[in-house]
Amino acid sequence: MNERAAFLCDTSGQTLIIYIRGEIDHHTAVSVRNGIDTLLFEKRPSKLILDLSEVGFMDSSGLGLIMGRLSVMKSLGGDMLLRNPGRETQMILSLAGMERLIPTEYSDTQSLPVNQHYAHPHMAAESVADRAPKSASRRRSKAKASGTSA
Amino acid sequence: MSRKKSIFKGKVINRLQFKLPALSINEAMARTMVGVFVSQLDPEVTELADIKCAVSEAVTNSIVHGYRYVSSGAGIVTVTVSIMEGRAVRVEIKDQGCGISNVQEARQPLFTTDAAGERSGMGFTVMESFTDAMKVVSKPGQGTTVTLCKVLKDRPEVAGGYRRHGQS
Repeated sequence: MNERAAFLCDTSGQTLIIYIRGEIDHHTAVSVRNGIDTLLFEKRPSKLILDLSEVGFMDSSGLGLIMGRLSVMKSLGGDMLLRNPGRETQMILSLAGMERLIPTEYSDTQSLPVNQHYAHPHMAAESVADRAPKSASRRRSKAKASGTSA
Repeated sequence: MSRKKSIFKGKVINRLQFKLPALSINEAMARTMVGVFVSQLDPEVTELADIKCAVSEAVTNSIVHGYRYVSSGAGIVTVTVSIMEGRAVRVEIKDQGCGISNVQEARQPLFTTDAAGERSGMGFTVMESFTDAMKVVSKPGQGTTVTLCKVLKDRPEVAGGYRRHGQS
């Protein structure tokens, strides 16, 4: 179980948005990579957006992860975009000259739907839309259960 | 002696040493422990992030490359953090792994021996860029020791802790 990095995905049309949260290092990159690739080959989007606003730490393993996803997207004939990297993440991206390879956008809109649950990479393929009603019904049933036991 | 070399040597005020099995899950542990120890100097957020990132790179290298020929967790990574006079932080990351045959080549940006594993080849470049000095001592079969040094900015506004010129 990998508690340090998780991600959430959102598909709108031909665009797949992946919100990565947590710390990307050599240990966590493996499961994040496998999770994203599963989604990429399943949904075959024409555009991949990696939202990095919730990434608290990233080392060069994250660079490998991003470059690897770029080559997957190229092989699928699509393109890729990075969104809202934090200050520390930006520093390491620019060290590798990543801005010349992948466009980076900065949007001040709330990039992540509020109160969303992040999927752990090993249970990756749920979309935002899939998860929302589930978690709500889980909360309801939990409340119900505690109500009856009281 | 140049300033770059001289900052490795100085009076040690405080020190932390720990040993971890070469398991990838310990990469986060290693950088966090170093970060917590360095926090007594009240570093700036970016300075702390730089140190943690550099340490993460070095420990990852030991685990991924140094101990690539031994079974997972069999090797030991030793990390020694020293706080020295003048707000200097020295971190030594040591393994007894396979060593590096050509250190000069390994330090080049984008050099990697493991492209299939999606390694970016930027490890040493990150370490060098995020610290003030880096020293790599390695021999094939005899392991690798990476020493990183960073001098933290003076923060006269912060009360307590260690001052740039000796202890407060």
